[in-house]
Amino acid sequence: MTLKIRKENQIKSFEITPEQSYINRRSLIKSIGILSANPFFSNAFADNNIPNQKPLDFIKNNQYSTTEPVNSFEDIITYNNYYEFGLDKTDPYRFSTKFKPFPWTITVTGEAENTGDFNYEDIILTNKLEERIYRLRCVEAWSMVIPWIGIPLVDIIKKFKPTSNAKYVAFETVYRPDEMPGQRRRNLDWPYVEGLTIEEATHPLSLLAVGLYGRELPNQNGAPLRLVVPWKYGFKSIKSIVKIHFQEKQPPTTWNLAAANEYGFYANVNPEVNHPRWSQARERRLGSGFYGAKQPTLLFNGYADEVGYLYSDLDLKKYF
Amino acid sequence: MRYSTRLVIFISLIPFIDLNLRAFGFYGGLGANPIETMIRTNGIWGLRILIATLMLAPFNRYSGLEIFRQLAKPLGLVSLFYILGHFLSYAIIDQSGDLKVVIVNIIETPYLIVGWGGFLCLLSVGAMSFKSLQPWYKKNRSTISGIVYSSAVLGTWHYYWNTKTIETEALIYCLIVCILVLWKVKVTQEKL
Repeated sequence: MTLKIRKENQIKSFEITPEQSYINRRSLIKSIGILSANPFFSNAFADNNIPNQKPLDFIKNNQYSTTEPVNSFEDIITYNNYYEFGLDKTDPYRFSTKFKPFPWTITVTGEAENTGDFNYEDIILTNKLEERIYRLRCVEAWSMVIPWIGIPLVDIIKKFKPTSNAKYVAFETVYRPDEMPGQRRRNLDWPYVEGLTIEEATHPLSLLAVGLYGRELPNQNGAPLRLVVPWKYGFKSIKSIVKIHFQEKQPPTTWNLAAANEYGFYANVNPEVNHPRWSQARERRLGSGFYGAKQPTLLFNGYADEVGYLYSDLDLKKYF
Repeated sequence: MRYSTRLVIFISLIPFIDLNLRAFGFYGGLGANPIETMIRTNGIWGLRILIATLMLAPFNRYSGLEIFRQLAKPLGLVSLFYILGHFLSYAIIDQSGDLKVVIVNIIETPYLIVGWGGFLCLLSVGAMSFKSLQPWYKKNRSTISGIVYSSAVLGTWHYYWNTKTIETEALIYCLIVCILVLWKVKVTQEKL
């Protein structure tokens, strides 16, 4: 089992990559200005990854955190799949600067007693934030370790008082083509939608993240709030959520609509069930350097002890 | 070699120089996933230059400019150079040089089979550059040119198949390669 209790004297995530070191690196890169006139690559990193997000007050939740080394802040904010901002991994970092995460309203509808529009401040900031260091496994066979700041999703869901008919929770990403250039093209059916069973959504590992590395979420990571479901492939962890809908039937999900034979509703990390076009048996842990070997992928991304019971009756090959 | 040819070859190698500068940490480095950047950069430039090489034939035919004909062989070799880098960075770095793993991975993954096929086509044509094979090459010109077109088709297919959604760039290459193949068929039929 890979979940271990962290000792108190361990290095804090902020100390692993001091802010100043990557700020310094930016200015070094800038000083090599003449090279950036290269016409073939325009993705030389600009200055917009200096953290200007507000620092957050939080407690560390060691019970649910991994002790594996955390990825650098730079890796986490420059390598993203967020097609609303473009298809390349660096696009969300480059093209998300126009996005305005605040003010933010979340609309709650469906099978719940307490529905309506809720301000981010009223629904989120009234909770105690906690840091959880989770593994993130992308369906593309790479992975990272990220120090998220958030609230257990179950605590938020309780506030809405879902009825007994609420078997599923559907989520929707904001649709703002003016601020999200990727949404002006129809690579996916916008807005992005995702869903969980109510058991998954209320599982203690499910997190509603509002920050990482001790600060508010950068735009490219799903500001101002996103899901983090660490035992599922990354695409289940929907970003910039504006709608939460409780319902009895299984909701449609964007990648499943795009290619049903490749992306299932459950999308649990499973080394035994390959993507039709590539193997899921191993993954590349980013930050492990040029010659770091790929590592074996674990069932439910290593969270099998915590979430395995949710799927004891489910044929994981059929319901992938 | 004419200066114009040398210039084109130099330009076609800029992405390679750029990649190397990045590998040594210049302007932004290779990003969070350096191995993927190496594989993708080599692959996409190999394909772009291969398609550009095939476009030389119609350019030569309709403009009559000899430079287009002269560029075909060196540009084709530059394309092979990139594709070789593409394959080797996949096999040696990404798969840690484990030949068994590479072979199993290719067999299990349809888009890798297609890419591998395209690579072998290109490699076999590249081998024709050796002086000892030149007489054989001159006798089998049409077969060889067919193999080059096949490698472009397979390479584009490999690229298209590897993307998660339908990407504009992949679609453009599919379109260009289709037109080139149809043009080649038409020209070949006119000769017969």
